[in-house]
Amino acid sequence: MTKQIVIDPISRIEGHAKITIHLDEQGVVHNAYFHVTQFRGFEKLCVGRPFYEMPSLMARICGICPVSHLIASAKACDALLAVRIPQTADKLRRILNLAQIIQSHALSFFHLSSPDFLLGMDSEPAKRNLFGVMRAKPELARDGIRLRQFGQQVIELLGGKRIHPAWVVPGGVSEPLSVAHRDQILAGLPECISIGERTLHWFKSLLDKYRDEIKSFGNFPSLFLGLVKPDGRIAFYEGKLRVVDAAGNIVADQLEAAAYQAHIAEAVEPWTYLKFPYYKPLGYHEGMYRVGPLARLNISDRCGTARADQELAEFHELQRTAVLSSFYFHYARLIEILFAVERLEQILTDPEILDRHVRAFARPNSNEGVGVAEAPRGTLIHHYRVDENGLITWVNLVIATGHNNLAMNRAVLQVAKRYVNGQRLSEGMLNRVEAVIRAYDPCLSCSTHAAGQMPLQIQLVSPEGKVVDEIRRG
Amino acid sequence: MSKPCLATVWLDGCSGCHMSFLDMDERLIDLAEKVEVVYSPLVDGKDFPEMADITLVEGAVSSAEDLEKIKHIRQHTRILVSLGDCAVTANVPSMRNVLEVDKMLREVYLEQVAGQPQIPNQVVPALLPQARPVHEVVKVDVFVPGCPPPADAIYFLLTELLEGRQPDLSALTRFGK
Amino acid sequence: MSTTVRIKTLKIDGHDIGAREDETIMAVARQNGIVIPALCHVEGLAAVGACRMCLVEMKNSPRLLPACITRVEEGMDLTTNSERLIKYRRRILELLFSERNHVCAVCVSNGHCELQNMAQSLGMTHVNVPYLYPRLPVDASHDRFVVDHNRCILCTRCVRVCDEIEGAHTWDLMGRGIGVRVITDLNQPWGESESCTGCGKCVNVCPTGALVEKGKSVAEMMKQRQFLPYLTLMREEQR
Repeated sequence: MTKQIVIDPISRIEGHAKITIHLDEQGVVHNAYFHVTQFRGFEKLCVGRPFYEMPSLMARICGICPVSHLIASAKACDALLAVRIPQTADKLRRILNLAQIIQSHALSFFHLSSPDFLLGMDSEPAKRNLFGVMRAKPELARDGIRLRQFGQQVIELLGGKRIHPAWVVPGGVSEPLSVAHRDQILAGLPECISIGERTLHWFKSLLDKYRDEIKSFGNFPSLFLGLVKPDGRIAFYEGKLRVVDAAGNIVADQLEAAAYQAHIAEAVEPWTYLKFPYYKPLGYHEGMYRVGPLARLNISDRCGTARADQELAEFHELQRTAVLSSFYFHYARLIEILFAVERLEQILTDPEILDRHVRAFARPNSNEGVGVAEAPRGTLIHHYRVDENGLITWVNLVIATGHNNLAMNRAVLQVAKRYVNGQRLSEGMLNRVEAVIRAYDPCLSCSTHAAGQMPLQIQLVSPEGKVVDEIRRG
Repeated sequence: MSKPCLATVWLDGCSGCHMSFLDMDERLIDLAEKVEVVYSPLVDGKDFPEMADITLVEGAVSSAEDLEKIKHIRQHTRILVSLGDCAVTANVPSMRNVLEVDKMLREVYLEQVAGQPQIPNQVVPALLPQARPVHEVVKVDVFVPGCPPPADAIYFLLTELLEGRQPDLSALTRFGK
Repeated sequence: MSTTVRIKTLKIDGHDIGAREDETIMAVARQNGIVIPALCHVEGLAAVGACRMCLVEMKNSPRLLPACITRVEEGMDLTTNSERLIKYRRRILELLFSERNHVCAVCVSNGHCELQNMAQSLGMTHVNVPYLYPRLPVDASHDRFVVDHNRCILCTRCVRVCDEIEGAHTWDLMGRGIGVRVITDLNQPWGESESCTGCGKCVNVCPTGALVEKGKSVAEMMKQRQFLPYLTLMREEQR
């Protein structure tokens, strides 16, 4: 008799999902699936809308990284206008994007994942959350809150509000940056640097303790994909696609992101609303790749800022090949926070940033446009077609978390095989299965262009698919 | 000493309202003194409590699972709050309401993919024909419009409710804010 | 110039007021700093009483009176703001919101919309009637303007300004009941209209995001309303 364990909802990740673990007669894990259980139809509901509404409309895909959608969408719209936007607008969008990387990474690390590191995977679930962190290590919780607050405040200063600002528009941005706001942002940077360094130091001291998790937390060879600058530096706002294999060798480089369909295709499985993108030359399954912080550090030659480059060098010493364990996503996230803060300073101290010319005006001059950016969780692609009046006729979205779908499923299976033993179910074991998903920081609001949250229940299912037993966690 | 129980749930929304909740920043620390967050995407408890004092609902009712969940939550909540435009008006999720679900799924999963085109139908919940506001399905006690409602509005809402008052939020938020 | 204009005395919200007999309740109230809400009424265009937001109560009358098209009469005792009126006004707003698709969050008029402001000022936080979610088109065929029927509240300001001020009468209504739509010419796409002068007056008087300039992003569409009283005044002087 086959048994099935269901974790539903998976908590402390951003989205609706559940995990099912299938056991054979001996109670040994033989398969595990990560199901995304929501579908919102964003690719379809915007058909017929004027294209210049798209950035704000697409921001509503996700409240965690609305800025990524604003930017990828606005870039797709820039392509429809076929204009080059003012340089200052470009830089202002970069600031917004980096601010969001800071707030979203802070959320993922401090608010959602730090309870696992600080309180332990086997700790009491009722206390294993941000509020538990506040009690156990208030300074860590406060650091996380401060860092996220900084990112959100920068977004608010530029865009007028923290979530879903309407400031990014086709052709640029709607308002220039004032001296007062620039100085306010600059004043907040030193505190962020010290929080970033402090947290990195703390996290690195934990690595020894988590050797077992590191080994089995989605630790497998895969390709890595993301944007890099022409000189191989890390890129968040614009760049070209680079693919690196598990050995750390560059498989493909400087691919035009607008031609993504030549390199990436998507497949469907019947048990999830989330599609499975794969690297075309290797085919479905073999073409599994990862995106996001871990991928970005694996594919980038350097960051281009002092502190982050030092940390990157240390990070690459973990493994001679590409760094493979998904546990290191957290580590990579912290390095990226540091980079984002340093990079903000570079951009903000450029006098051009205060220029008042921040928007290009044009009519649509092309009926197709692609916009690509690196969201906190990885490469984000928006692809639109419009009719002669500028109304949307067709949309395709490839979302960061989607890219990781194959890898997340692989990771869940690996962790389940290592920690789940059908004879006995323990809290810590199930939490580890969830925690590996948390390492990818999936944003399921985005990936299903759907929304969500997650439950944990354990179902034992017979081969005929009948539920013979059920245990709920809580 | 038992604190009031706060639950938050997330149906068909973008999590922006939950993020706005987190945008209370340091006020979260004060809030943690006053309430126990018992069920939420942000915490680990998987079971909805026997009786939550306040439940914040983000998102429209869009799938069979949302419907089941909200009905259960209504029975186990004293004060149910529709938080944000998706819960209050169905907002952007309702833009799919003019489309046929089957046709939409066919286009997304059969026409726009290269590998194994098929419509997911195992384990995943079925979509309802339309995304609807929460109060069309269950009784709602407090309405907080906004996309998302600002953190100040959420803080004021919670502090008022904890004091046993009905909050007037008209100065702090509106549709589409 | 007419011979003599009679003055009527009446009470509005307890204030004793004197007014010319040819004035409407709405005009008199506004002169005296009393705000009566309205969505279809706009200074400088003929009043049509289409939206019913301006209904007021009159003592000893079972009927409510639309302030924008009711002339003052001797001895009227009017209430412009009671629990009952607020309840009716909210319900009217709810019906307006429910019969089209007003997705405020992603509307180009977000933050500058009279319907949205009205909901806020009347404390309407949600809609108690089921939403209809009709399927409605967006016509973007015009070079500079767009009509989005999802956001239209059928106030007919566009029809009136085009007819009375611009003199083109491009806009009109078609259909019946809930199926009514504003149309250009004989329901041709706006971009093909031969009568439209492209003046943009309809866009500026439209209270919502139904008529907007092309290329405006979400929350960017601000309307210029000041031109209308000025134009009306100048034309009267030239007569």
